[in-house]
Formats: sequence, structure tokens, C-alpha cells
Amino acid sequence: MIEVKDLVKKYDNHLAVDHLTFTVPRGQILGFLGPNGAGKSTTMNIITGYISATEGSVSINGHDIYEEPEEAKKSIGYLPEQPPVYTDMTVKEYLGFVAELKRVPKKEREPQIASALAKTGTVDVAKRLIKHLSKGYRQRVGIAQAIIGNPEVIILDEPTVGLDPVQIIEIRDLMKELAKEHTVILSSHILSEISAVCDTVMIINNGRLVVSDTVENLPQHLNAQNSCRVVIKGTEDLVKPLMEELEDVKELSLEGDGEFVTVTVTSDSQVDLREDIFFACARAGLPIYEMSNVTRNLEDIFLELTRSEETTEELPTEGEIKEESEENADVSDL
Amino acid sequence: MLAIYKKELRAYFNSIIGWLFIAFFLAFIGIYFFLDNLYYGYTHFGYSLYSVGLIFILLVPMITMRIIAEENKQKTDQLLLTSPVSVEKIIMGKYLAVISVFGVVMLITCTYPLIMSLYGEVNFAMNYAAIGGFFLMGCAYLALGTFISAVTDSQALAAVATFIVVLISYLMEGIASLFSTSARTAWLVFAFLLLLVALLTWIMMKSKIVTGAFLVISQGAIAAVYFLKPTLLEGSVVNVFDWFSVEARYADFVNGILNVADVVYYITFVVLFISLTVQAMKKKRWN
Repeated sequence: MIEVKDLVKKYDNHLAVDHLTFTVPRGQILGFLGPNGAGKSTTMNIITGYISATEGSVSINGHDIYEEPEEAKKSIGYLPEQPPVYTDMTVKEYLGFVAELKRVPKKEREPQIASALAKTGTVDVAKRLIKHLSKGYRQRVGIAQAIIGNPEVIILDEPTVGLDPVQIIEIRDLMKELAKEHTVILSSHILSEISAVCDTVMIINNGRLVVSDTVENLPQHLNAQNSCRVVIKGTEDLVKPLMEELEDVKELSLEGDGEFVTVTVTSDSQVDLREDIFFACARAGLPIYEMSNVTRNLEDIFLELTRSEETTEELPTEGEIKEESEENADVSDL
Repeated sequence: MLAIYKKELRAYFNSIIGWLFIAFFLAFIGIYFFLDNLYYGYTHFGYSLYSVGLIFILLVPMITMRIIAEENKQKTDQLLLTSPVSVEKIIMGKYLAVISVFGVVMLITCTYPLIMSLYGEVNFAMNYAAIGGFFLMGCAYLALGTFISAVTDSQALAAVATFIVVLISYLMEGIASLFSTSARTAWLVFAFLLLLVALLTWIMMKSKIVTGAFLVISQGAIAAVYFLKPTLLEGSVVNVFDWFSVEARYADFVNGILNVADVVYYITFVVLFISLTVQAMKKKRWN
């Protein structure tokens, strides 16, 4: 179990992490989500004891990372942003070194290495020099390194970067598998990835916690509203009065091309207008060709939550966030 | 610690560096051994080693440049520093590995007095004291190189800096003799050196108060000594500079004198730079 209290990291005058507090219970997968430069890697580096916090404390299984670093680090497996591999070793040599470094008893080393290789799909490359491996394989070797020694806590910084779609799915399954026995923290700037794997999501922006909740509950943190899109056969002058008669409509837009009219109606989240629209159209004898509820997906939530933060801080720029959303869109298509 | 030690040794001998280091060293020692001891028939191996000492300027940077700088660059230090091994043990493992590579060279040279004994009378105690002293001198230089490698993440920079520092240390005796022994020279030299230290603290800590306080106190103290008790400063430049001359200490060993002060000096030098290396690694956490 991980307890983080009031974590602050200052670089000169820049606050990279701003009073973060959270706990991760045993067996949970926590996802850190945030645009680049939000403070995800910094937080992970502090939790694993690579860098120190300016203020606040981190304890792993009751061991403070600063007071008892060796005890605390024993129960952590960490994959940093850049996989910490020695390029002049073969995969197997490297994992052997890591096992020895983590003080895995001699008898258990071989089976543990074998199982890490199998879990990360690196059996085929076990005898190759790491410098000859592609980015995706290096990433997998990095993950294999993190799970060696069976640490109770596994911390993965952007574990699927550089992997192809098939590998991403494999690694996601691996993470779900790992969560059965371990506590897992992973970071990503890709929402679909977090939502596919994690129990709880922490959205971080500018070093601050924006939202921390389960994936299902995330939409509640928005200015909730319901939106419905209807395609009706008819002309605009026929449809418009009909829609205006409806109660509880907050926003209305119509677009007609002579034969069909596309209507978008927005209401409060508690109100579902679909039945009313159906009966109104039925009474007027206008056939409905299409009707769909416009739900907001997680990408929208992410964008909205991190953007509302921006009104108080300038970084990151709008352009960066747009890039993020494009990346997000790419992956969610897979 | 053992894991890191083994990994380092493997890195030296899997790549060409370890072999090259040993080969170069043995070649140079061999040339002098052949000329001085075999050809001209000196029965003391120490003379050859004394001449070979110059090669440290090239070989120390070669073997220590990557030792920590490479970890910093490849970010593998993240693996080491987040593993359940203390920084002290990490550095010890690495340093012992370098010493071991150097130790291979010294072990081989241990056979040379035996070879000489085939051709005449050889004072073994004197010869092995010279080899032991040479080993200690090497350990001191290697500790220095390890420290320099820890403060940068560029191998090339570490190599050049180590080369320059070892060279200066080698020339230190000569440099020291250039200065007059007058108290006035001592005052100027120390004032300048303390200014450099103040500049360094400014670069490292960026604290006006600490740097300012250090500057005022140190410059005040040295000026006070000059005006109140100038005799204290006479000849001190030469003495201080000589302290940094790692190589000067070796002269006693060559002359067959096993001076405890020299042994203590080398061990102090190693401990100093290895603990500085540990501090440099720990300081990274606070950046």
C-alpha cells in the first residue's frame, strides 16, 4: 500500500508537484493521467526514491521512502520513462543482473526471469543484445525488469509508449493480470488506456490533483447535461415549432437540407427528452429516421477538466492539449 | 554490491576497454622493465614503475570515464538508485571493479621481481613495496577519476576533465616550485584559490548568503593571518600544492622507504574522493 501526503516538488520557482495527497490500497490499479509536463513522472520518481520531495512524505507498506529507503525500495518495481537498460547486455544477462540487484535468492532467479520473459513476451529475444532491440522490445524488457523480484508495488511510467497496437493490448492484459497480486500505479496521457485498465483515475494538471475517482464516476465531475440528436423527415418550418413546444429544452439547433432536418436538443442531465420528441413527432405525423443520445466520452472529460485548470495557469498551452487530444483520438480508434 | 561489482567487471571485459587498459599498461611497464631491469640490469623494479607513472594521465581517464557518467546518460542510474541497494554500496561495487582491473595488471607485474631474481640478487621486500606503493597510487588516481565521472553525464567530458586533473596533479611538484616561499605570494595564491571555491559554491548552491559569508570569512581569515602571523604562510604554498601531488608520495616507495604517512595519505585520498562521489550521487536526488 502506498501513502502519499502533501507532496511538493519545487524546481527553482516552478512548482512541478503541488500538494498531492493520495493513498493506493493493496491490489488496486491507479492511473495517473495528465498532459505532458503535468508532474506525473516527477511524482513517480519521488515515490520510488529517485528524487526527493521538497515537502511531504511517501510511505510504501509503512516504510518511509526517505527514512528507510532500502526497506521501502524492496517492495517497488519501477519502470521509468526511459527503460533503464544496459544496451551492451543481452536481455537475459540484464534480467539476471536486476534479479541479483534486487536480492532475489539464487534458487528463485532462474524461474523468475523465465516468468518475466514469458509475461512480457520477450522469450524470443532473450539472447539478443539489448542495443539491437527495437523501442517496443526495450520497453517490454523494462517492464520485465520492473516485475522481477515480485515487488508488491509496481510503478510504470507510460508503459505502452512505443508499442504497436497488438503489444498495447498484450501489455494491458498483463497489467490487469499483475493487479491481481500487486498494487499497480501507471501513468499515461492517453485516456482510453487508463480507462481500459485502471480502477481509479487521478487526473493531474500543473502538478495539482484535478480529479480522483473511479472510471465510472468520472462523468459526474462535469457540468452534467444531456444531449440528443434527431434526424426527422420534413422541412425546418414544420419541425421548429414542434421542438420549441417541448419543455426543459436548454439549447436547440436545427439544420435542414429540404428533405431532412437534423436537430440537436440539450437538456439537464436528469431529463431525457427522447420520449417527448418521439410523441411530438408522431402526433405531427413526421417520421423519425435517426435518434441518438450524445454522450460525452472520456476524452471530452479529460479535456474539459484539464482546460478549466488552465484559466488559472498558463502552462501547458492550448496547442499542446490539442495535440494530446489528437493522440488520444488515434489510440481510441484502435 | 556484489551484483554491481560483477556487472562492472563484465562490462570492462565484454568491451574492449578492460583488455585495452591491461594491454597498454603491461606494454608500458614491459618496455621500462626490459630497458631498466633486464637490459641495464638495475635490480630495483621501482625505478621502472616510477617512470611508468606518467601513463596514469592517459589510462585513468580511459577506464574511469564511463563508470558513472554512462549510467547518468543512459538513465540506468534510475534502476540503481531505486533498487534496494544504498548509494555507498553502488559506488563501492563500481570502485572495487575498477581497482580489480588495475589489480590484474599489478598481479602480473608481481612476477617481474621473480624474473629478475633468475639473473642475480634481488631485494624482494624493496621490490614488492614499490609494487604495493604503485598500486596505492593507482587507487588514488582511480578514485579521483571515479569522482569526476560522477559529476557529469558525458563520458567525453569526464575523460578530458580527468586527464587535465591527473596531469595537473602530476605536474604539481613542478608548479609548486615555481612559487616563491614568501608570505606575500602565499596570501595572494590562497586568496585567489578561496575566491575560486566561493565561485564554485555559488554555482552549486546559488545562495547569496552562503557564498557571501564564505567569501568574507575566508578572505578575512587569510588576510588576518598574513598581517598578524606572516611566518605561518611562508613556504605554505609549496606545502599545500605538494599535498595534491599524488605522484610525489611515490618517491619514498621507490627509494625503498615504507613510510606510514605515505600509505595513510593514499588511503585518505581514496576515502575522500569515494565519499565525494557518494555525495555527488546523493545530491542528484535534491536537484
